[in-house]
Formats: sequence, C-alpha cells, structure tokens
Amino acid sequence: ADAFLAAPQNISILSTNMKHFLTWSPVVVQGATVRYSVEFQGEYEREYANESWIPISECSLTAATMCNLTEDISASVPYRLRVRAQLGATRSPWGTLTGFFNRVTTSLTPPLLKVVADGHHLLVELADMGPAFQFRVLYWKKGQESRVKQKVLREVSSMVHLDTMEEGAEYCVRAQAHVEAINRSSSFSPTQCVRAQGDTSLWL
Amino acid sequence: SVAEIRAGFAAIKANIQSRDPIRTLSVLSHPRSLHKVKSSDRCCVAHHLLTFYVDKVFKHCKTEDSFVNRKISSIANSFLSVRRKLGQCREQNNCACGEESTEKFKQILANYEGLNVTSAAMKSLGELDILLDWMEKSR
Repeated sequence: ADAFLAAPQNISILSTNMKHFLTWSPVVVQGATVRYSVEFQGEYEREYANESWIPISECSLTAATMCNLTEDISASVPYRLRVRAQLGATRSPWGTLTGFFNRVTTSLTPPLLKVVADGHHLLVELADMGPAFQFRVLYWKKGQESRVKQKVLREVSSMVHLDTMEEGAEYCVRAQAHVEAINRSSSFSPTQCVRAQGDTSLWL
Repeated sequence: SVAEIRAGFAAIKANIQSRDPIRTLSVLSHPRSLHKVKSSDRCCVAHHLLTFYVDKVFKHCKTEDSFVNRKISSIANSFLSVRRKLGQCREQNNCACGEESTEKFKQILANYEGLNVTSAAMKSLGELDILLDWMEKSR
C-alpha cells in the first residue's frame, strides 16, 4: 500500500523589506529525497475564483524547505499559503500556513548609509533595498538640531549631494526607508556625522 | 498600487494581446475614450471599472501558462486593494456618477457583452494600459 507521507509542519513566513519567504520543516524519510510544492491563494481567488489555489512553479517539486513568494505576493490583501510533500507518486496532505499573510506586515529595517565629506560637499550613499523603496534623509549642522533639512530620494543612485558645508563644521545625517505601496516607514538609521574640510588657506 | 499593476501587466501584455484576434474593436474606448469623463465622475467610473474587471474579466482569463496566470492573480488582487481605497471615497460620499458617465459605463458593458466571454475578457485585459493611463491621469 502507498506509504503515508506526513504534511509539512512548522510552516511560517519570513517577510523583511518586502521580500517574503515561506519556510517549513523537512519531512524526513530515511534514504529518500522528499520534494515539496507550494501554492498561494489571494483574496481574489477566495472571493471571486471559487477559492482556487495557484501553484508557484519555482517551488514545484523542490527539495528546498523555503520558497520565495515575493513576485506573487504583490498586492496588499490577505493571502493563504500551503505546501505539501511528495515522494515518488505519494503525496502528503497539504500543510497550510495558520491564518493569512498580508505584505503590509513586512518588517522594515533602517537603510544602510554611508556619509562622506568630500571637501565642502556633504554626500550620502544608500544601499539599494528594492524597487518598492524610497528614502527620507535628514541632515543638519551639528549644534543646529532645530534646523534639520530633509531630502526624499525616490531612487537609489550612487552618491547623492546633500549640502555644501561650512568650513570645519560638523554635519550629521540619518535616514529612514519608506514603502509607498504599504504606506509604512522603517525606523531611522543611526546618525552619522562628518566634518567638512578645514580652512586650507595658508596664513602668510 | 497602480505602478505595481502596470509592472505586472507589462510582463504579460504581449502574451495577452496575442490572444485577442479582433483588433478592430475596443471595449474601453468605443465610441468615446475614457479621457472624456468629467473629473467629478472619475471616482465613480473608476470604482465601476475596477468592479467590472474583478467581477467579469479576470475569471475568464485563465491560460495554460503558469507565469501568466500568476501575474493575472497579482493584478486581480491589486485591483481589490485599489478598489478598497476608492471605496473610502464612496463612503465619504464624493464618488457620485453623473448621467453621462453612467451612459459611458453602460457602453463599456455593451461592448463587452457583444463578444463571446473569453474574447471579451482577453480583450479587456489587453486594454489594461488604457485604464491605467486614465486612472493615473485622473489622480
């Protein structure tokens, strides 16, 4: 008779910075490679398409115990997710993620930034976090915390010029990431300060 | 968001439009373009059109291509969240439909029902650019 294959357990979502992964515990069968298939169901499928499920081809008969859902979870609606194991022709029951997943709950980390004083120029470079991200950069002259300036960067290019600094003065910068699609922002990065090049004129 | 819908559609546009043999007809633009809708009516027309796609179009667009089906799912689910935002306008009662716009929407339904359902659905999906352009211009 067909051997019984247990459904995958410990199914959970890891979602950080709008990248979403489904993970589960392996189903262990001695001396055999168990494979898995993942399907998703959005609110549309539940409400308008007879509760149908859609397979994710990249995670069909995969030996991995993780599946990248980012491309498919591209709407701010509740999704259901399920995974089953397969060994040869034997399939396990579906293991379904408890509850729903909505991308609005993704965790957002502060951006990584590098602040550079290039002579009198205050420059910042931000690590790319993906197409969904914008950045709010705050900068000020040390000691003038009440006169903070702001720049919103919709795309991450290379170095961005923030300001022209007064000679020898120290300037500070911090930034947060913002995702318009879910209308949420990360916390701020730690503040970084740099000093402008001092006065280079020689006292003769 | 509309930008995400546009990106999803761009990935399957050629595939979907290749399934629409009747190039001489339009669902959304015949006889008059959406761009003639009065600004006061746009919220209502947009809400009607989103509902039209959700209720009538997407379910008849299933293909043999898994990638296309997944993108259609993304678009359909995005329509639900965009419509939900529009719904908030309706609740605040500034989403009225004038007579002219109601006529316009009836014309779109007539265009749709004038074709067999699969052709009509594929044609409507293939015209998504027209709807997205109009929605972005109306913002």
